[in-house]
Amino acid sequence: MAEFLNSISYDRWIINALLLIPLIGVLPVVLMPAAHAKRVALAVTILEFVLSLGLWWSFDATNGGMQFASTIPWLDTWGIAFRVGIDGISLFMVLLSTLLMPLSVLGSWHYITEKERGFYALMLTLLTGMLGVFVALDLFVFYVFWEVMLIPMYFIIGIWGGTNRLYAALKFFVYTFAGSLLMLVAILVMVWKVAAVTGVVSFAYADLLQNASAVGSAAPWLFAAFAIAFAIKVPIFPFHTWLPDAHVEAPTPGSVLLAGVLLKMGTYGFLRFALPFFPGVGLSPAVSALVVTLAVIGVIYGALVAMVQPDFKKLVAYSSVSHLGFVILGIWACTMQSVQGALMIMIGHGLSTGALFFLIGMLYERRHTREISAYGGLARVIPLFSLVLTVVSLASIGLPGLNGFVGEFLVLLGSFGRYPVAVGIATTGVIFAAAYLLWALQRVIFNRLDKPANEQLADLSLREMWVVLPLVVGIVWLGVYPKPVLLRMESATRHYLELVQPGLEQTDNPGAKPMADAEARP
Amino acid sequence: MNAFDLSTPSGLTIAMLPEVLLTIGAMVVLLVISWRHSTAADSRLAGWLSLASLAVSAAGLGWLWSGNAQSTGIPLMIALDNFRYTADAILLIAAAGTVLLSMGYLERERLLAPEYYCLLLLSTVGMMFFAGAQDFIVLFLGLEVMSVAVYILAGYNRASAYSAEAALKYFLIGAFASGFLLYGIALVYGATGSTNLVIAGAQLSSGHLTTMASLGLGLLLIGFGFKVAAVPFHSWAPDVYDGSPTPVTAFMATGVKAAAFVALARVLLETFSSAASQWQPIIATLAVATMVLGNLVALAQPTLKRMLAYSSIAHAGYLLVALWPNSPLGAAALLLYLLAYSLTTLVAFGLLAALGRNGEREVTLADIRGLSVNRPWMALAMAISMLSLLGFPGTVGFMGKWYILTAVVAQGSPVLAVVLVLTSVVSAGYYLPVIMAMYMRAPQVPLAHSENGLASTARVAVAIAAVCILVLGVWPTGALHIVEHGAAALAQLIAPTVAGQ
Repeated sequence: MAEFLNSISYDRWIINALLLIPLIGVLPVVLMPAAHAKRVALAVTILEFVLSLGLWWSFDATNGGMQFASTIPWLDTWGIAFRVGIDGISLFMVLLSTLLMPLSVLGSWHYITEKERGFYALMLTLLTGMLGVFVALDLFVFYVFWEVMLIPMYFIIGIWGGTNRLYAALKFFVYTFAGSLLMLVAILVMVWKVAAVTGVVSFAYADLLQNASAVGSAAPWLFAAFAIAFAIKVPIFPFHTWLPDAHVEAPTPGSVLLAGVLLKMGTYGFLRFALPFFPGVGLSPAVSALVVTLAVIGVIYGALVAMVQPDFKKLVAYSSVSHLGFVILGIWACTMQSVQGALMIMIGHGLSTGALFFLIGMLYERRHTREISAYGGLARVIPLFSLVLTVVSLASIGLPGLNGFVGEFLVLLGSFGRYPVAVGIATTGVIFAAAYLLWALQRVIFNRLDKPANEQLADLSLREMWVVLPLVVGIVWLGVYPKPVLLRMESATRHYLELVQPGLEQTDNPGAKPMADAEARP
Repeated sequence: MNAFDLSTPSGLTIAMLPEVLLTIGAMVVLLVISWRHSTAADSRLAGWLSLASLAVSAAGLGWLWSGNAQSTGIPLMIALDNFRYTADAILLIAAAGTVLLSMGYLERERLLAPEYYCLLLLSTVGMMFFAGAQDFIVLFLGLEVMSVAVYILAGYNRASAYSAEAALKYFLIGAFASGFLLYGIALVYGATGSTNLVIAGAQLSSGHLTTMASLGLGLLLIGFGFKVAAVPFHSWAPDVYDGSPTPVTAFMATGVKAAAFVALARVLLETFSSAASQWQPIIATLAVATMVLGNLVALAQPTLKRMLAYSSIAHAGYLLVALWPNSPLGAAALLLYLLAYSLTTLVAFGLLAALGRNGEREVTLADIRGLSVNRPWMALAMAISMLSLLGFPGTVGFMGKWYILTAVVAQGSPVLAVVLVLTSVVSAGYYLPVIMAMYMRAPQVPLAHSENGLASTARVAVAIAAVCILVLGVWPTGALHIVEHGAAALAQLIAPTVAGQ
């Protein structure tokens, strides 16, 4: 496979092709009759997914740096160019995006009934925006994609969302916009500070990374600006309040992509920009203590609030806050296991929460309610649906053998050396997760079948099976045999840990270095 | 091209070629309409003639520009540099856009007095003098020619009391502002012994201002503050913008504002550059006040036209931020932002003019509900315009804001930049509801907006401007090049300032 891909010089054009194809796809979607919009969109997104699969094989797992890199000149005088590339961290984010998109299109097949052309055009634009965020290696380009992606999601929530959609859409937009504009100022300050030292104005990631120390005393401010932008996106408690609104009001595919991909942009931002640029600030004892505390609060708070939600979708939305808390914990622990675990949760959460939102959407299409109390005993009526829901829920809880377990276990294991107390508390989050999801499961698919409206429900259709099947396969695969994935992350993770090393050295006294950390580094 | 000796009449005439050509054009229009004065066709004819005059003037401008015309020695009356040419180009674009927007509008509102176009052209001539002046006297003459014509235009809808109110208010405040400006000029002349911007600047190059010069600077800033509608000198603007016929409002928001800002930039950067430490705190304070108040008050406006009026005040704040760095980069950012803002505002007001009747004072968000259903292209153009005003990537508005931020940050003080972005976030609170109303709400009655078409000429203007917003938003290289060259003209006059002041 790798030879074949090499023979067509796959690595040279693939990223730009992935970014361009959805945009080209917008044209036929808009120009052809509305009835064909979804078919065209599905074809484009499947093509996109198939093309992106090549990344899996042609990716060089031994290389911790950027691969598939390419540069297209843009605003030369300002040191801005269209620089893109992928490493072991962004690889899986790209694959996750390209996987979830065709499923989302398929999942909206009957859900979206009006203004279909607009909807699918926005979905394709969103795909380009999401991929752009993950592959950008120029801070200007990154910023542009980061913002541009907002607009399609804003429209998707605002036009096809639920009853309170306008409020949710505005809140989503303003929160993200506020954070990202501060980040823009931080980017500019950083570029000029670096330029003052090197004499070259450049927005290139590599240049800024290399000379990040030039920012000097501004580093805490710059880190704060980056961190707030990313923290809003993750979202880290207390910046999470936009999330339940946006998730609940968004149409199913919107929720899937929000949870599956958009939230990961925040954690990705920490891994790619905030921490490697300013390890001395981000990993300093004070900031670490603050972030880890917030992460643990997020884990517990998200789980507790999820437990009392009467609305199934809101329950899953709050569970995201909880899961992402683990990711932040893992990122800040900075050991091989914890960072890999954080990446595994990012992937796994995309699959399992995506699947949960799809399943809730399917219930909603049948009954037009998401109240947990409206269901009960569904296992007897729609066994297949119930089976899938059970598997996915167990994956989300973190049952060994399914994907959720691998990530959370690695994070807890890897973080224990550095933050034993935080890990101790966060572990209870796993128990809470079992509580809220199993309790919800019990009320939805078990219990007595006492509501007449539930007796006539149809089980998963063929189309719906195709929506969830790839996700279930992924969930099981990552749970049983995550090694190929971990292998591809390893070099990049090691490279990342080397980048943030200066920040660790200032906090650690060498004798008390966590064992896992010492092991990880040859 | 040869260097011109601006002390000879012929040299001066050539140096003023775009203005001269446009004045001749205005006279021709005046001559024609003295015969053909009454029908809609006459009005249209005057419109087309005006457009032709603007094109001829633009050709003259292009000739000067491409020939890279230089003056021998210090230009005495009018600047011969890229800064002027770039500003003139923006002014001509604003004027041409206004003419195109006006043609259908005047017929629809039965404002069939073709002198309108003549006034428009004359005020454009005034703007070009105002923006290109190298001498305080020319600057003042340009200001007055521009203003007097615009006072009349503001009150052009004689049937509307609001239009009359706008004209009177604008006139009184304008006269007041001119007074301040004139006093300021007199004091600066007293302090330096010259009315020439550059020579006066040379006199002040020690960086220390005498009391007289400081007073002069202060009065000049107040005068300009009124003209650009900076807080706290802004209170006339909402009523005037609101009451004037919408194309005139567009003209005021684009042309008048651009000319005033370019002239202010010249005064600050050519004459008072070495005394930057004295005016930078003032400009910063004005900018912050203008951005904060403009954006916050815009949030509370019930009608679109008033919202756009306050948004225009907010944008004046962003433009003041571009002046603050006292650097060529800041001047370039000013030019780019003026271009961006002019294009965007033309689209916004052009569509507003099509959406309402009787001065468009009553158009609210409820009236544009569901516009995307019945008028998809209008809704799309409006959405592009709103996103550009918001400064969203992919639009020229973002490039302008990015450039201003760059200029401020390069000067080593990110505080103004932070205020700018935070107030921009606030502005999302009034720009986005426009998009929401158009796209996310259903029209109140099924056939709403069916009569709200754009006239064909306005359609051309709006379409071109909207496409430019997007094209320059993605590929701004050419525009960046032009404004950088424009600002480079001022570079040798700007005194280096200590970073971080």
